[in-house]
Amino acid sequence: MFQVYLPIAEMSVNLLVMLGRGAAVGFLSGVFGVGGGFLLTPFLIFSGISAPIAVATGANQIVATSVSGALAQWRRNNIDFRMGTVLIVGGVAGALIGVLILKVLREAGQAGLIISLTYVVLLGTIGALMLGESIRAIRRARAGKPSSGRKPGQHNWVHGLPLKMRFPRSRLYISAIPPLVIGSVVGLLTAFLGVGGGFIMVPAMIYLLRMPTNIVIGTSTFQIIFVTAVVTILHASFNHSLDVVLAFILAAGGVMGGQFGVRAGQKLRGEQLRALLALLVLAVAIRLLFDLVLKPADLYSIAPVLTGA
Amino acid sequence: MRTLLSLAAILLALASAPVRAGEPAPPSDEVVSDISTREIAIKSNFAGIEILIFGSVDFSARPAPDTGTYDVIVVIRAPGQALVARRKQRVAGIWVNGPGETYPSVPGFYAVLSTRPLRAITSDETLKSLGIGLGNLDFGRSAKTDPAEQTFRLAVIDLKERQRLFQEQDDGVTFIGRSLFRASVDLPVNVPIGRYTANVYLLRDGQVVSKNQSTLEVNKVGFERLVYLLAFRYPFIYGLLAVVVAVVAGLIGWVAFRRE
Repeated sequence: MFQVYLPIAEMSVNLLVMLGRGAAVGFLSGVFGVGGGFLLTPFLIFSGISAPIAVATGANQIVATSVSGALAQWRRNNIDFRMGTVLIVGGVAGALIGVLILKVLREAGQAGLIISLTYVVLLGTIGALMLGESIRAIRRARAGKPSSGRKPGQHNWVHGLPLKMRFPRSRLYISAIPPLVIGSVVGLLTAFLGVGGGFIMVPAMIYLLRMPTNIVIGTSTFQIIFVTAVVTILHASFNHSLDVVLAFILAAGGVMGGQFGVRAGQKLRGEQLRALLALLVLAVAIRLLFDLVLKPADLYSIAPVLTGA
Repeated sequence: MRTLLSLAAILLALASAPVRAGEPAPPSDEVVSDISTREIAIKSNFAGIEILIFGSVDFSARPAPDTGTYDVIVVIRAPGQALVARRKQRVAGIWVNGPGETYPSVPGFYAVLSTRPLRAITSDETLKSLGIGLGNLDFGRSAKTDPAEQTFRLAVIDLKERQRLFQEQDDGVTFIGRSLFRASVDLPVNVPIGRYTANVYLLRDGQVVSKNQSTLEVNKVGFERLVYLLAFRYPFIYGLLAVVVAVVAGLIGWVAFRRE
């Protein structure tokens, strides 16, 4: 009962389990304003779905959750469309590079390893940084000092770069280079890890660009739609690794979960949100690290020979 | 039930087959066989399937009943696929895929069913020459005596066995009475698509006396076939459609759950 055959993954999965996973990831995505792919991709791999299919399918399901997420953010006027467009331009360039790198690594049989290592390093670093920062922020808040989120008068090295653009919604006048770079790094990660990239984009925009947190989350969700859409099409074209049936099941669960997540997120304070996200990110990183370090149950593995074509 | 009925019908037909008069007597006993399902359709509810191979040994060419030991071996094989086997090794505390071995043609599915253990039925040489048994698969490249290569070969067999894509059943073929036999095989959910062959060998005192081949098509049908074809023939359109579906799903979700 409830078993569904996945035509590209060539396996049968339980519909309710997959719907539940999609909903759980969608909920977290709504709470934190992240794509949730950094949870979904490992979840799929743990279900026995091969890493490339998990990555491409994860990207496709993020399109759905981020559409409804972005609409909810748009109603609250939380999207800086100008900033979003700059991020998308960088993101598409990064996505192309990421898809090609993944293709080469797959042929060498090292995709799984490099994907896991990248996850561990990225999630570990960002999780630790965010946790430290949010603990300090919570302490400051408890001590009754004002929140030090945004200091409009404060400048850092980012403000010395050329190609300055005005971003009225974020009340910023900064160079287009940092958002382009952030966008392309995130695009690369989307293609490579099947993540929306919110976990790197949100802190980068808060700390580097000093954008207001609510607009960061809205803008990040907005740009994720486009970058994950491009990644979906690229993976389908280059790697034939997209399973629409699985993506649709995950998206159906994700859209439902996402709506509840957005509301739950509004009840939490910014620094609490960041501390929770940091803990979640660290937990995934540790789990992945264990899998790399512990002796695998199977030393041998088999994979189809991938031709360079 | 339908399977059973068709089986019964075919067995009846076999039993009543007239002796071909006028033709020279065949050199030996003959085996005829068929598969319960000639076409397997992979649909959204596909969760693996059991197929039945059945047949009959025709002793009619023999003037008097014989007392030899008869055995039947059934070999089901899917088309070969190129595979690479890799072994993980520890590099700086992390388990990394090391060098591997490439095999040009590993059957996507391979099952051997027999009335008795293969070694008890016939000699290793006979099995080897017929390519029967997991140990006698060549995977499209000649076996080296290199022990390192051998471990990769064994690992491939072991992994495929655990995926139920390689099966060996010593008692998989059962005789019903003197001339009818049946064998059932479970095709797991991850079976590859393609044209499978089912070879049925009749052995008498360790010698192959008759062989019968039938084929079996495993295919995706309906929506699953459409998805598969789109994904591999028109991947760009497939990706684009997937995005459109996702955007629509997102819109529906937003409208359905919107609270003003």
